[in-house]
Amino acid sequence: MALRVVGQNEIRVDGKAKVTGKALYPEDIYMDNMVFGKTLRSNRPHAHFTLNLEQASQMPGVLRIFTASDVPHNAHGVLFKDHEVICRDKVRRVGDPMAFVVAETEKEATAARDAIQVSYEDLPAVFDPEEALKPGAPLVHEQGNLVYRFKLRRGDVAAGFQESHAIVEQEYRTPMVDHAFLQPESGLAYMEEDERVVVCAATQYPHFDQLEIAEALALPTEQVKVVNPAVGGAFGGREDVTMQIHLALAAQHLKRPVKTTYSREESFYAHSKRHAMVMRLKTGADREGNLLATQVTIYSDTGAYASWAINVLRKAGVHATGPYVIPHVHVDGYSAYTNNPYAGAMRGFGATQIPIAHEMQMDALAELLGISPLEIRLKNAFVPGSVTATGQTLSESVPLVECLEAVAEKLGLKQSLREVSP
Amino acid sequence: MKKKGKGIGCTFYGTGYGNGFPDVSRSIAQLERDGSVTVYVGATEVGQGAKTVLSQIAAEVMALPLSGIHFVCENTDETPDAGTAAASRQTYNTGNAIKRTAELLLKEMKVTAARHWGVSTPGRISMDSGKLVHPENAAATLSYREVAMIKGQELLRVEDSFTAMTTRLDDETGQGNPYWPYTFNVYGVEVEVDTDTGKVSVVKAVCAQDVGRAVNPKLIEGQMDGGFAMGLGYALMEDVNLQQGHMKHDRYSNYLIPTAMDLPDLEKIIVEAPESTAPFGAKGIGEPVMLGVAPAILNAIYDAVGVRMTEIPVTPDRLLVALKQHEGKEGI
Repeated sequence: MALRVVGQNEIRVDGKAKVTGKALYPEDIYMDNMVFGKTLRSNRPHAHFTLNLEQASQMPGVLRIFTASDVPHNAHGVLFKDHEVICRDKVRRVGDPMAFVVAETEKEATAARDAIQVSYEDLPAVFDPEEALKPGAPLVHEQGNLVYRFKLRRGDVAAGFQESHAIVEQEYRTPMVDHAFLQPESGLAYMEEDERVVVCAATQYPHFDQLEIAEALALPTEQVKVVNPAVGGAFGGREDVTMQIHLALAAQHLKRPVKTTYSREESFYAHSKRHAMVMRLKTGADREGNLLATQVTIYSDTGAYASWAINVLRKAGVHATGPYVIPHVHVDGYSAYTNNPYAGAMRGFGATQIPIAHEMQMDALAELLGISPLEIRLKNAFVPGSVTATGQTLSESVPLVECLEAVAEKLGLKQSLREVSP
Repeated sequence: MKKKGKGIGCTFYGTGYGNGFPDVSRSIAQLERDGSVTVYVGATEVGQGAKTVLSQIAAEVMALPLSGIHFVCENTDETPDAGTAAASRQTYNTGNAIKRTAELLLKEMKVTAARHWGVSTPGRISMDSGKLVHPENAAATLSYREVAMIKGQELLRVEDSFTAMTTRLDDETGQGNPYWPYTFNVYGVEVEVDTDTGKVSVVKAVCAQDVGRAVNPKLIEGQMDGGFAMGLGYALMEDVNLQQGHMKHDRYSNYLIPTAMDLPDLEKIIVEAPESTAPFGAKGIGEPVMLGVAPAILNAIYDAVGVRMTEIPVTPDRLLVALKQHEGKEGI
């Protein structure tokens, strides 16, 4: 098939506007009669709280302080609706929103936010997913801390290890990290003449934000319009809503455009993190380096809210073998609530953490067997027709060996890594 | 002392929501009066190049230059739902939806032309440099603008969708076809470890990325550079540093990410293996491009100094402690 446009290095269609500064990001939007919102966030990981708004609401410029009782349906979330739009009486993490203060100017909103008196009653907290699953652990949500249990069973790992000549067993740990996108969250909401609420905020999925806003405000979906201006990076960090419902709620009540912009620090607390994982792997191979069995246990920390916990752990579990044929596979995964920042989508989505583990297992096995890291990979690599640990046949487009060989050539990995290293 | 070592990271990535969840993208294509085509689709441009790549797919089907495609994705009023800009799914899923929609528009344009020419076989109308060609008389052609004029006030506008095919995994055994397609990525790096300071520098890096088919090679290379930087940060620097639920690193003065000074020139190899269910064979690469980086660096550190760093990030202080412990063992 002769292609004309596909395959060409066309210049990005949004490129010129971005390099000349003409592209409109949410923070660039100003409207007449606009007012500003600021979010009060918890500084405790797990606590009951009460607010005293008396002093703050008398502050200059303050138009209204929104709290949980103002939200018609106080819940949102991509899988489970376990986030409160504004927390009612309990916070589950540092950074949980407790009030949204709107004032004539940003300065006045900040001053009023800081004048709100918060009384906390601390609750026992848990910060480790394994601890969170032990009997008697503090409950982050009433229904228990286990969010998802993943199981994968293929072949007979005990038999696989029995036949193995070399076995490597190791624990790996990865931390929570931030998306570190360039543009901290900013957004603006206003009412159209027909009573529709319009929310402008950078998002990865405008149609889902529309649903979340409509549900929380108990509006028909078509009464909400989401405008998605230029997005300054996302990497998964703009999947869960942050300020969208706060803005829509405020615009609806005040009938004026409402804007809010997070500082970098607030941005860190507002959006999700990459799941921290503890991964324990036991992997066995025969004398020639053919992989025979792998047993994998994963503990995934989803923090205070579920977000994509299930899908992320499932993706980690499905990819736990790495791109290799292994006849005997046993994977157990647990995703747990803790009082850490909430974890959600981030580039790779569970398939980023697990290669840390399976790739170090491969090198350790190669060393035990006296073969090169390249050789053990080539021996076990998926090729067209290979069957994965879930029993899926990779029918086509599996150029893994080509990728490996290309890298080996460029890096000078001919026979054995250790022989060619200085 | 400075010690060098090499390492590889080898990964695969299943595209899309997966697990049998309906992964649907919808799009609308409209023939404008000037013969250009507008695509309406709720697929977000997050910087990954969706607007460009998806426009290229529409342009290819319509036999138009890229400038003949207008791409509208910025609000929920004008666009149909095309799912999230995540899971490396927009090129594959929404690319397929746009390809189907553009093909449908072309088919409708041929029906219009056939009616105009009084022929009964619109399927035999061919296309040549952005014009429709009469099935019996190659000299008779209609430009897209002329087709739009024939329709008069009524604009030709069609909508179509694409749904990815996956199956739900069995709850007890995890068996099934959870994702499709899979994309493959391999990184190789050479590191230099300063055993006095514990600092790891990546001095050479190679990325081979399976792309199915490259829709826009330069944009793929841009993704590879970005994925490499993000993976290097993950391996060596980044950690929100949780203490009792508080992030001790919550700003860029202490949450360190790589700068240009930390990154060697990445050697980028695009590997094509067209996938038959994908638009022109193209698979998504937004996430795959970062997956092999951290494991390659960790393996290279072992090759250099003989310690397996099983917890990331490998900060200088962590590596120094590990080196001390290693020396202790070696001494015995």
